[in-house]
Amino acid sequence: MAKSLLIITRQSPWSGPGAREALDIVLAGGAFDLPIGLLFLDDGVFQLAAKQDARALQQKDLSANLQALPMFGVEELFVCADSAAQRGLDPSGLSLEEARALTATEITALIDRYDQVITL
Amino acid sequence: MKFAIALFSAAHAPSSRRALLFAQAAVAGGHEIVRLFFYQDGVYNASDSVVTPQDELDLPKQWRAFVSEHQLDGVVCIAAALRRGVLNEEEAGRYQRQAVAVSAPWELSGLGQLHDAVQDADRLICFGGA
Amino acid sequence: MSTLHVLSHSPFGDDRLTSCLRLIGTDDALLLSGDAVYALQPGSAPFNALDARRLNLFVLDEDARARAIIVPDWAKTIDYPAFVELSINHDKVNSWL
Repeated sequence: MAKSLLIITRQSPWSGPGAREALDIVLAGGAFDLPIGLLFLDDGVFQLAAKQDARALQQKDLSANLQALPMFGVEELFVCADSAAQRGLDPSGLSLEEARALTATEITALIDRYDQVITL
Repeated sequence: MKFAIALFSAAHAPSSRRALLFAQAAVAGGHEIVRLFFYQDGVYNASDSVVTPQDELDLPKQWRAFVSEHQLDGVVCIAAALRRGVLNEEEAGRYQRQAVAVSAPWELSGLGQLHDAVQDADRLICFGGA
Repeated sequence: MSTLHVLSHSPFGDDRLTSCLRLIGTDDALLLSGDAVYALQPGSAPFNALDARRLNLFVLDEDARARAIIVPDWAKTIDYPAFVELSINHDKVNSWL
């Protein structure tokens, strides 16, 4: 049975390659049919803010790749409700509908459920 | 115990030195390192081009010696390496770049190698940030 | 199931410690390394928060010594062999990169 891996992404989308490089780990895992989960935590929740415009910074659109996650077999998508609330983001208005909002207690249990974790 | 060790910070970062010391302690403790995987700025630890002052710790040199001595699998993420200008001879040729910064024992490969190591190891430990 | 959380950033002007303390489980352990040992600076808010929580708290000895941080008796200093053992005694390691 394959080991499960949870990726916790804490970087905002336009602060450097961190958000994209976290997503690349997830996509690679999905491509190999591995059980991968993705949690958006702290500034990572900004990756899911609606109506972003990557072209304003001459960057590639991250949200297109995020929307593609279920197609790569990655359906375990989560967002920290507290992180979103602290940043004035409504969890129901985020750009990735499949991402489930979790409380702190639920996230503690989530980390426990996975075999390995990478927080970047 | 089988360890997979992933490094995300550049050679001059204290976390990179901690990664090496952890790896050395793991081997000294009789454990196995299934793979060293360098990602994000971690790729700079594999660079031959880093020049360290004589009176400072030369981490790329120490990594190379450690990997060679214990015949470890040292993999550098190719996408992260290309983005940061850490190319081996093959990639330098492919992209027509002058500088060849990576050579044996380091191998440039994809994120599949990280996932492979995670599946194989009992423990994954990541170093990076600061 | 338990996780070893590893921090290496200063808690001042950084939210990793705060987030970690929100999510850390009762059986988990926390290792302070690098600038994260500044969380044990007496009289500081992080020090008070850790003192109040009384987690399974570990400190990398070299980092405390380098910074002249005196480690309180409710935390344990460790070296690298002990760090390796700690990573084995917990089911996984979560480094807050």
